[in-house]
Amino acid sequence: MASVSEMYDVGWEEMRDKLRKWREDNCRNSEQIVDVGEELIGEHSSKLGDDIWIIYEQVMIAALDCSRDDLALVSLAETFQGRWFVLENPRVSVETCLQELRKQFPDSHRVKRLSGMRLEALERYDEANKHYDTILQDDPTNTAARKRKISILKAQGKSAEAIRELNEYLEQFVGDQEAWHELSELYINEHDYGKAAFCLEELMMTNPHNHLYCEQYAEVKYTQGGLENLELSRKYFAQALRLNNRNMRALFGLYMSASHIAASPKVSAKVKKDNMKYAAWAATQINRAYKMAGRGTKENKCSVKAVEEMLESMQINIS
Amino acid sequence: MAGPELLLDSSIRLWVVLPIVFITFFVGIIRHYVTQLLQSDKKVDLEQVSDSQVLLRSRILRENGKYIPRQSFAMRKHYFNDAETGFFKTVKRKVVPKNPMTDTSMLTDMMKGNLTNVLPMIVIGGWINWAFSGFVITKVPFPLTLRFKPMLQRGIDLLSLDASWVSSASWYFLNVFGLRSMYSLILGQDNAADQSRVMQEQMTGAAMAMPPDPNKAFKSEWEALEIVEHKWALENVEEELISRDLNFGNLFSQDAKSAMF
Repeated sequence: MASVSEMYDVGWEEMRDKLRKWREDNCRNSEQIVDVGEELIGEHSSKLGDDIWIIYEQVMIAALDCSRDDLALVSLAETFQGRWFVLENPRVSVETCLQELRKQFPDSHRVKRLSGMRLEALERYDEANKHYDTILQDDPTNTAARKRKISILKAQGKSAEAIRELNEYLEQFVGDQEAWHELSELYINEHDYGKAAFCLEELMMTNPHNHLYCEQYAEVKYTQGGLENLELSRKYFAQALRLNNRNMRALFGLYMSASHIAASPKVSAKVKKDNMKYAAWAATQINRAYKMAGRGTKENKCSVKAVEEMLESMQINIS
Repeated sequence: MAGPELLLDSSIRLWVVLPIVFITFFVGIIRHYVTQLLQSDKKVDLEQVSDSQVLLRSRILRENGKYIPRQSFAMRKHYFNDAETGFFKTVKRKVVPKNPMTDTSMLTDMMKGNLTNVLPMIVIGGWINWAFSGFVITKVPFPLTLRFKPMLQRGIDLLSLDASWVSSASWYFLNVFGLRSMYSLILGQDNAADQSRVMQEQMTGAAMAMPPDPNKAFKSEWEALEIVEHKWALENVEEELISRDLNFGNLFSQDAKSAMF
């Protein structure tokens, strides 16, 4: 099997920098991380210096994500100062990474959390819970352990308890945006759209320029239904478009919410007129976008016609 | 009165000016590593963390409240500021005044700070005064008044000597402050060899952590939130959006990005 460096013709420095970039951007491309990281650890561990520990952590988490946790360890070659080693078989597994990290940092909470994650991956949830409890006894402000406990509940399918625990967590750590987003997802799964909207509002306040939060909020409001919520959703779809002109989902959302309001029997004539104007504008923009996409291809005419038909079928008629 | 230009022995440059620079520099680096070794872990209190995050949320509400609907803003403002049930009104934290004399952790921190920063400065300053006394080192490029003479010309009692000529002790102090930028080059930002930063910190006090008085912080946040009004930023968003065509830019670029590199 060709190695990453052969396939893409890159050196170990580029691989290391790529891993760093993925780490900073918080990307979840676990398969790629495992491929690149495996080779880096297997072949170039001596050149990495102190970077290797954080790479171990990154690769281990990615390996857990890809379920590479029960690969057998093949023999370790000489250990140099107890820290650096050369693997005969370059396949690195979760066990190796964890072992090395434990050896180097025996009392670290961060490493304990990683062992807890491994137990979670093996579905030994009770042991994992005990693990996290010991961390929390030592350091009650450790957010990572608490979040892992909540994700155990989520993995076991106990969403009501997970929601409750997450609420308690957020009462103490109001600023944790990851947690707010997770809570909004849990609420959406439970169809509790009002509370999900609350969580998304928190996110919108802390990240006013993020068009995705605006769009998600608008979708939740649209799902809730009712004239007021439809108006709000239309406004937030428009805001999302203003923040990012290329958000097609928001464009469609704008079209839907505007036509929905226009079709509702309870609105005044002026509101109906305004909304039809918005819907018409959105339809023109959608057509423009599809024209640009199909530029230079033979299917252009067909796809444009398909878009027009689709828009017509999405019209909401008063039943 | 521009005094006559003195001609200094060039061995002064070799054996006094340069050694003082090196000594200051290396002492600074040693100080940095010693501080790192002696640093104790800061224990964070759960309540403090929680409080500081709540204050942050309230501040964000004030600043970015205009992006959420009026109803939601009113709901949150009520949560914080309501006369009977509001957070800032009902939550009172027990304030334990941190007396520096009795609080053991702060005491040891203070001692360590003194040891690593003030002591070397005194020791070395004194040694330089003793070892390199009785002659002038260099001339500062700007004219100084006579008031500076006793300060900068220790050990030289010449009435007619221009105040711009300084002795070794003042050259040492110049170095202490001047080498700050060198430290940040070599040791990275935020290094412990930076004495002036330590002095600044001592002056501003515990400006970061909440401990001084969370109650006061709550009260001031309550006042600030009271006067904020909600001016919805999305009032005319559709009109602004419709006024021109969307810019689709590179939405449909032909080549897909390659997998990894």
